[in-house]
Amino acid sequence: MINLKSLINFFLIMGEITRLFFQTIAASFTRPFYLSRVFEQINVLGVGSISITIVIGLTMGSVMTLNFGYGLMKFGGTMYVPAVVSLSLAREMAPLFTSLLIAGRIGSGMAAEIGSMNVTQQVDAIRALGTSPVRVLVVPRFWASVISLPLLSAISFIVGIFGGLVVCLHEFDMPTGFYMHKVTYTVQMADYLGGLIKSAIFGGIIAIIGCYKGLKTRDGTRGVGLSTTWVVVTSSITILITNFFISKLFIVFWG
Amino acid sequence: MKERREKILKLENVHKSFGSKHVHRGVNLELNQGETIGLLGGSGTGKSVLLREIIGLEFIDKGKIIFKGQDIQNLNEKELQKIRLEISYSFQSGALFDSVNVFENIAYPLFEHTKMSLNEIRSKVAEILEMVDLKGIEELMPSDLSGGMQKRVGMARAMIMRPEIILYDEPTAGLDPTNTKNVVDIMKKMTCLGYSSIFVTHDIPAALELCQRLIILNDGIVAFNDGPEEFKKSNDPIVLKYKQEVHYAGSEGEK
Ligand SMILES: Nc1ncnc2c1ncn2[C@@H]1O[C@H](COP(=O)(O)OP(=O)(O)OP(=O)(O)O)[C@@H](O)[C@H]1O
Ligand SMILES: [Mg+2]
Repeated sequence: MINLKSLINFFLIMGEITRLFFQTIAASFTRPFYLSRVFEQINVLGVGSISITIVIGLTMGSVMTLNFGYGLMKFGGTMYVPAVVSLSLAREMAPLFTSLLIAGRIGSGMAAEIGSMNVTQQVDAIRALGTSPVRVLVVPRFWASVISLPLLSAISFIVGIFGGLVVCLHEFDMPTGFYMHKVTYTVQMADYLGGLIKSAIFGGIIAIIGCYKGLKTRDGTRGVGLSTTWVVVTSSITILITNFFISKLFIVFWG
Repeated sequence: MKERREKILKLENVHKSFGSKHVHRGVNLELNQGETIGLLGGSGTGKSVLLREIIGLEFIDKGKIIFKGQDIQNLNEKELQKIRLEISYSFQSGALFDSVNVFENIAYPLFEHTKMSLNEIRSKVAEILEMVDLKGIEELMPSDLSGGMQKRVGMARAMIMRPEIILYDEPTAGLDPTNTKNVVDIMKKMTCLGYSSIFVTHDIPAALELCQRLIILNDGIVAFNDGPEEFKKSNDPIVLKYKQEVHYAGSEGEK
């Protein structure tokens, strides 16, 4: 039920998440730095997500190619398939789907890990020992996620193009050279860049929401479970909404 | 033992509520340099909350908490971090970082706050582990330890920065007599070394053995504040009620 109280609550949470974001940025550029922790997190979050990224890239590329291929065949437009597939992969599909999937994997992981630390007073211990949970826990995860996501969506784009190529070769007898030429000709620097920037933003969103909920987790193990579901749902919705606006912005500026 | 000197910590008229629950209704308390005081009181009377207020993990609604002439209520998080190096808190649950081993748990404050080399840190950690009678367990994970060992590791972590005041939150709760004796012995050593401390406990014999002064929290205020001998003799209804609650018969407590 939507009433005044839950509306106020919504804005409160939005405010707190924004605050955590600014705290994270502030802590990122003041001493002490924890570069080793960032690399550790890149290893956990980024490297650990490569296999799932490859799977999603392959499926997206090949399935889209199949559908567009047979769809456009009716109008004799099979030769446009590489352009359509590569452009939508670079601009939307690779960043969006990779981020959504990764949100499920690492966002919930962060919430679960920090949430369990919170309910077992380990977060309090970090504070009691004269250090800041934002600096120690949030900053490394934030940057690891902001760095990893563009790399992951690049992987999923490349793999997706490859998946499309395989389908084009086998289903539509399209020469490799033609396919690659179409892809490189259609997708411009701005499209790649847009996709990468998008994924970096989504990476930041995933990390901040995951860490925020982790730090807010109460009520023991049950609380941890609730937090992880909340994070997956909330970050997915936030990513989808943000994606619309960023796409709109890019189209306005870059056409 | 250092002779009693100036007041190192002073609580003035401290009030604290959680929602409608008024936990502290004007707590007044003083801790002298080098003194160990026992903080007693029924479950839920706000002993842990009081310790958390002293290190600034919990804000108070009204009153003053003065450490070395400075009201910590007016400090920001960054300044509080400095205070937390001088006042350390040994958690009721131990609150060890469960994803790293004992060495990294105890070394954490040293890595964060000092420029010591790894070798210096290793020898410091070995030294403090010897002091808490847990020599050579650096490589074990917290989950490999018994409850009593976890508490002692938590105490070691709280002591390693050589704070001025150590707050022990029920360090002997749930331990068998041997472990209890170990913990009490550690605290005795610390008192002899001149540390000031507040010892929250339900274990009256241990408190009588260790503390120069006993304090009972009841109904949000300090209901008793006197030496151990006076505590034993006291006929104050609140003291009697508390003794009854913890099944303290009197004579059997003396060792
Ligand atoms: N974060 C919180 N939110 C709401 N209520 C709280 C919070 N922390 C503590 N309380 C309440 O404050 C009261 C005092 O809690 P506290 O943990 O200090 O008790 P205690 O004296 O340490 O008890 P015990 O001996 O069982 O450890 C309890 O009634 C508890 O419910
Ligand atoms: Mg307690």
